[in-house]
Amino acid sequence: MKSKSILLLIFLCFFLTNKLYAEQNQLVGADADYGEHLFGECVTCHNSTGLGQGIPKITGMKTSHFITKILAYKTKEKENAVMQMVAERLGEEEINSLALYLSKLK
Amino acid sequence: MTKMKRRTFVGLAAATTTALSMPSIAFGALPRVVVIGGGAGGATAAKYIAKDSKGAIDVTLVEASKRYYTCFFSNLYLGDFRAYGSIGHNYYGLAVNHGVNMVHEWALSVNNAAKKVNLGSGESISYDKLVISPGIDLKFESVNGYSAEAQSKMPHAWKSGTQVQLLKNQVKGMKKGGTFVMVPPPNPYRCPPGPYERVSMIAHQFKKSNPTAKIVILDPKNKFSKQGLFMEGWQKHYPGMIEWISAETHGGIKKINAATMEFETDLDTFKADAASVVPAQRAGRIAMNAGVNNGDWCPIVPASMQAQADENIYVLGDASIAKSMPKSGFSANSQAKVAANHIRGSLTGSKVFTPRFANTCWSLVATNDGIKVGANYKATDEKIDKTSGFISKTGEDSNLRKATYEESIGWYSGITSDMFS
Repeated sequence: MKSKSILLLIFLCFFLTNKLYAEQNQLVGADADYGEHLFGECVTCHNSTGLGQGIPKITGMKTSHFITKILAYKTKEKENAVMQMVAERLGEEEINSLALYLSKLK
Repeated sequence: MTKMKRRTFVGLAAATTTALSMPSIAFGALPRVVVIGGGAGGATAAKYIAKDSKGAIDVTLVEASKRYYTCFFSNLYLGDFRAYGSIGHNYYGLAVNHGVNMVHEWALSVNNAAKKVNLGSGESISYDKLVISPGIDLKFESVNGYSAEAQSKMPHAWKSGTQVQLLKNQVKGMKKGGTFVMVPPPNPYRCPPGPYERVSMIAHQFKKSNPTAKIVILDPKNKFSKQGLFMEGWQKHYPGMIEWISAETHGGIKKINAATMEFETDLDTFKADAASVVPAQRAGRIAMNAGVNNGDWCPIVPASMQAQADENIYVLGDASIAKSMPKSGFSANSQAKVAANHIRGSLTGSKVFTPRFANTCWSLVATNDGIKVGANYKATDEKIDKTSGFISKTGEDSNLRKATYEESIGWYSGITSDMFS
């Protein structure tokens, strides 16, 4: 019983590490510290406690979902003057750093 | 994780918790930051320095009030869109969540050479870096006849709090069909669209309960923020109620008389039944005392928000000349994060990132009719330069205006959570 639990734990650790590794590898130039710093810009409007009235919640967003949305604002496919302005000055390094940091938030 | 490692980890966690809960007096060796002013600039700076340094910097916030009423959204209280209590906030979150030492006293003076702040109680606090974010003081004398005494008859209501409650009572109690006179301040001042959002909210009140009332704006300026949008909204929602008279047209306010409620201009003498007079402004007094001002405002180094006059002092928000950023809560919050990152870097050697500034100001014209203006900024050697921006358009559809209003509610919740929790 005990050894089964340990095996399960090892498997889980391996899986999670791998997943994180894969995600990090796709995020070129990503730096979680930079992401945390940049996130300061987001939480002026996006309530960090997760309330989403009028402005959607972004904590806990999937990395791919976040990147898709930001790029849609950047290309102005998605409407919202504030978000288009925010996305406009985010380069690949900034977007990936934010994505990495967001993926680490619960 | 081995047993050994786990023990080390637990030990470290315990040490961190203890350090955060210890009073500041035990931190002899830690670098000290003192922040004066618990508004959008000061509260944000105190929080981010404490949060990001994880106990490596001792942060003290000096703010006289235990409960802080935001200036932003006070107009929505005037229009009955917010309860007064909903714009009040306390500092428990900063103390409990981030270990900020709260000192609820007035900062009386700064001794730059000794790096000390002298408090109203007679005690003093030493600092390695000082953040001054006192907001504005009002230059009552800038409007001939206005004074600290006249503010109860013609509230400025430009620092939130009880003045806004007083103004609301006077608006609601104004005689039927009476005239409300609004005197906005000259540039530069806190919250450029604020006086015109205020007029919108007062008009909203009158439309409900005093529909024949009139509002006259005696402006010391010839144009104002979001002018086309406000004018369009006034025409649409409050036709015939609001008259904006520019400085060119009235020729200047020569004198006001708070006893008779009269406003004398070259054009005419206007008699008010209720009024709001917002005089010219300058940086809060403590900034002058610290000698970091040049005239009415404090010049800063754009990349860090350090005062040009003293590298150990940072000036945030309304008190600074952060050209081209407007004086707004959003601007102050943005500047605070740049300063916090720079202060932490200089005290602990942590990474200092390229400064990024932003601002957006939302205003409410009528129920579900929100408008906004915003810009990105970057630091150059000379100034905080606008790199891009946007403004709501006239003729936008009502769904977009409703979404903009709802966005402003989300922003209020976001920024106040960012400042105070």
